[in-house]
Amino acid sequence: MSALAALEASPPHLAQIAERLRRVTVEVYGTSGGGAGILWSPDLIVTNAHVARAPRVDVGLADDRHVEARLVTADRRADLALLRIARCGIAPAALADSDALRVGAVVVAFGHPLGLRRTLTAGVVHALPPALPGGRRWIQADLRLAPGNSGGPLADTAGQVVGINTMIVGGLGLAIPINEVRRFVASATASPA
Amino acid sequence: MTTVMDLSNALAGAVERAAGSVFAVHGRPRLPSTGVHWRAGLIVTANHTVELDREIELTGPDGRTRSAHVAGRDPSLDIAVLRAEIDGVPVADIADDGDLRIGHLVLALGVGPRASAGIISALDVRAGRRPAAGEMLAVDLTMYPGFSGGPLIDVRGRVIGITTSGARQHLQWAVRASSVTRSVEHVVRGGRIPRAYIGVGTQSVELPEALRQRLGLAQATAVIAVNVRPDSPAAAAGLTIGDVIVSIAGHTIAEPEDLVAVLRPERVGSVVTVSILRGGDPRDVQVTVGERPRRA
Repeated sequence: MSALAALEASPPHLAQIAERLRRVTVEVYGTSGGGAGILWSPDLIVTNAHVARAPRVDVGLADDRHVEARLVTADRRADLALLRIARCGIAPAALADSDALRVGAVVVAFGHPLGLRRTLTAGVVHALPPALPGGRRWIQADLRLAPGNSGGPLADTAGQVVGINTMIVGGLGLAIPINEVRRFVASATASPA
Repeated sequence: MTTVMDLSNALAGAVERAAGSVFAVHGRPRLPSTGVHWRAGLIVTANHTVELDREIELTGPDGRTRSAHVAGRDPSLDIAVLRAEIDGVPVADIADDGDLRIGHLVLALGVGPRASAGIISALDVRAGRRPAAGEMLAVDLTMYPGFSGGPLIDVRGRVIGITTSGARQHLQWAVRASSVTRSVEHVVRGGRIPRAYIGVGTQSVELPEALRQRLGLAQATAVIAVNVRPDSPAAAAGLTIGDVIVSIAGHTIAEPEDLVAVLRPERVGSVVTVSILRGGDPRDVQVTVGERPRRA
């Protein structure tokens, strides 16, 4: 078998990764076009704050159910929001250690770019710059994103989520490292509601 | 069995390996470009990113900054060779054996490291102003700002070329490693890259349709000699102001930049046929290419 054929036959291959991401990526319908979100636990969704702007938003799950989500908390500066839904029975996303990411590694994004639902794009990690003083860290990815990818997963070749796609700057996809998202969710769920 | 995970690890490994020989080149205002440690003490970068008469600094992968000076320029390839005291930074693994095929996976690197992945999309690039076949290749990947002068690497992390186009242009080119090595060897052997010249200053000129038809010329423009340097090869061959140069050594000359592309360092000392129009009549003039006198 040729190496390229093996890439499409030996698990985990991109088609499997796409299927894994499809199950854990939701659609968030907002007033400004909407975006994507990641199923964090059976009743929690993480997305960008700029995607979930209202206290209540409609969410489309991978099994085509539409549910109402309540905004638990949003951090506008970090551009992260946590939404709660009724327990949905879908297995949540597997998360990677974003500190272990390497420049040049293959990454994929799943989302709804320009309204094109459930779309996979692929590329490589472009750079992992250190945070500027007082600033935030980003995963910079050499891959194609568009509005509608916001809030959705950037994942590694194991299908584990390494970041949340958030911005496009100079043609680069910028994602919030998932380890930062972990800290956001931990503090959001620790504080009394 | 190869998996996409193996591919990912291989690409990341290639970046890591090559990044150890990559320098930031501070040779222009604001945005630094990228350079590659090609031979001990010699850094290759893109010529257009190193300004004339400017103090140059290099920042290595070790974070240390060193001063450098231009040892040679080859504008026809857009390659500059810099000399610096470098210890503790290995030279790059150069693959100049020419074993490249369209479709090969490649990565372009910037300082940081930063990476961009794609494929070789064309070999033997002859289009545009670029020179001879076998020196350039075209790549299908995104060149990000500051990548100019950086390495194009294969999946093993070996340097197969230098990217030169930058984000300014829409085409992505790389100079093949074998051509870069030739420039570097000029510096190693002679301490400089000879600048080929014939001694004419030119401007672009439109060729009238009737003239083009009469002479069977495909090109819409050529260049007109607006000065001929005394004691230059052009003067010795009898070229005068007003002569219109349409081709040199079989290469079409449509813009002044085409002269730069044709006058490769290797042409110094060789005789080229310069096809001109004088008073609307075509004629060929044999010119012995000289070396540009160095600036005082």
